Amino acid sequence: MAKKQKKNLIRLAVQIFFLALIILISFNHFRNEQGLAPLLIGNPSLHAVCPFGGVVTIYTYFSEGAFVQNIQQSSVTLMWLVLGLTLLFGPVFCGWICPFGTVEEFVGKIGRNIFKKRYNNFIPFKLDKLLKYLRYVVLLLVVILTATSGKLLFSNIDPYFALFNIWSSEVTRLSLLVLGLVLIGSLFVERPWCKYLCPFGALLGIFNLFRIVKLKRNEKTCINCKACDRACPMNINISTSKVVSNHQCISCLLCTDEMACPVSNSLNFSVLERKDSKEDSKEDSGAKIKESISGGGK
Amino acid sequence: MKIKSIHILLAIIIIIGGGIFLASELDLYNTTKVRTPKKTVEGLYDIIDIRGSHNLEEIEKYFKLPASSVIEAFGLRPDTIPEFFQLKDMKEIFKPVELEGEEYIVETDTVKVFTSLYMKIPYVSDETFYLPEKTVNYLVENDKISGEEKEYWQGHTFKMEYLDSKYLTASEFTRMVVEETEEFAVKGNTTIQELLDSGITEEKFEEVTGFKVPDKTSVSLRDFIIEKGFEFGEVKDKFAE
Repeated sequence: MAKKQKKNLIRLAVQIFFLALIILISFNHFRNEQGLAPLLIGNPSLHAVCPFGGVVTIYTYFSEGAFVQNIQQSSVTLMWLVLGLTLLFGPVFCGWICPFGTVEEFVGKIGRNIFKKRYNNFIPFKLDKLLKYLRYVVLLLVVILTATSGKLLFSNIDPYFALFNIWSSEVTRLSLLVLGLVLIGSLFVERPWCKYLCPFGALLGIFNLFRIVKLKRNEKTCINCKACDRACPMNINISTSKVVSNHQCISCLLCTDEMACPVSNSLNFSVLERKDSKEDSKEDSGAKIKESISGGGK
Repeated sequence: MKIKSIHILLAIIIIIGGGIFLASELDLYNTTKVRTPKKTVEGLYDIIDIRGSHNLEEIEKYFKLPASSVIEAFGLRPDTIPEFFQLKDMKEIFKPVELEGEEYIVETDTVKVFTSLYMKIPYVSDETFYLPEKTVNYLVENDKISGEEKEYWQGHTFKMEYLDSKYLTASEFTRMVVEETEEFAVKGNTTIQELLDSGITEEKFEEVTGFKVPDKTSVSLRDFIIEKGFEFGEVKDKFAE
């Protein structure tokens, strides 16, 4: 009875679009270094199209009215737009837009094929839970160090910058090492950078606590098959919560009844509370499904 | 209301795509360093924010002051290329003059005052009280100043002289700048040796980078700068200057 895992083509298309966009920007930089004209979209820097630049420059912006070196106004504008999107739908940026997250996810598909069910389950639950708070430490360090130095020190370790500037000697050895570790790590753990170290993901993750569109599980119709837990790339225990407000959620929709959940209207993102009358009819359908299923779980 | 993938897609298009479009229209989405002068409360570009890095083409764009007028009023060669000629280039062309016991250099602030008089936009300078005779004559001939203003400036002029150097005329200087740019530019793969070969002295290298020329000059300038913990772009710009 368990629903076959569907591919979310809309999300995949969005991910490929933004990945292609960043690759084009990177390629244009390469052309620029060779003295050639940029193609299609001009020659903005990678920093200029990264909303995290807005976060690291925020202190300097408000205290001195200036941007940190290499950060442009577009980063601040993008930051506000992404924060607005996140307030509504949660960290959609992480799950749908971030090109580095997309690359991790694509590498992860290789790991999933190799390790099958063991993939993304190598790290013990307790340790994983603890490590997930590490990204807040990174966020604090990055913001403080950038504010005090006035320089974009994070780019010295940033694997996103290293990956899309890999042809350039601007990339430090340290960031290449981090990039290598993250890509290798992606073969064992889904999105290791996003999960444990990404400072922007940490900031956006906080919005999960008060986002307007919430991930809700209908306890009455849930058949406890744990398909949602298995589908979640961030190892969130969805099947035990009524409203999922975990700081790691990336709004990928992989767990919802549009994708993994086999019971219609049992797990989805929604704004308004369910009305009783509707709930009753869904409960009936859920109960029927429950009757027809002998069991589930991991 | 149940939110599906299609709703998220629409949200991305509307919020991110629409937001970028709107911000671009409001001039709040610059991916490069902002060169646009600030605006006054009246919504006009502020003369105070004219910078030495602005070229004549930009002055024409923002202040509607024809580049040809600046070229003629300051006696620059008629074939000066507005796109390449920056206001700060003037100090490389004209000799400094001594006015009321102080040295005065024809450059950005001189153009600010000229723009103010030509376009009749208020601007009070705290350093330009004299203008080149040629410039004042141009303003008078073109009926840009009259009355007390005309009287004041006609009484506050000085003879402009070209520097006795290789930068004898503006067009020669401009051409030289263009040629130099075409001949040698610091790129990501430029080695320190190539930099030295291009004419940068070891003293100049030390002045710009803050470090002595390393023994191994085959290393790229970018690697060297990044290893020292500095931004390559910043150093590259200094060498370009």
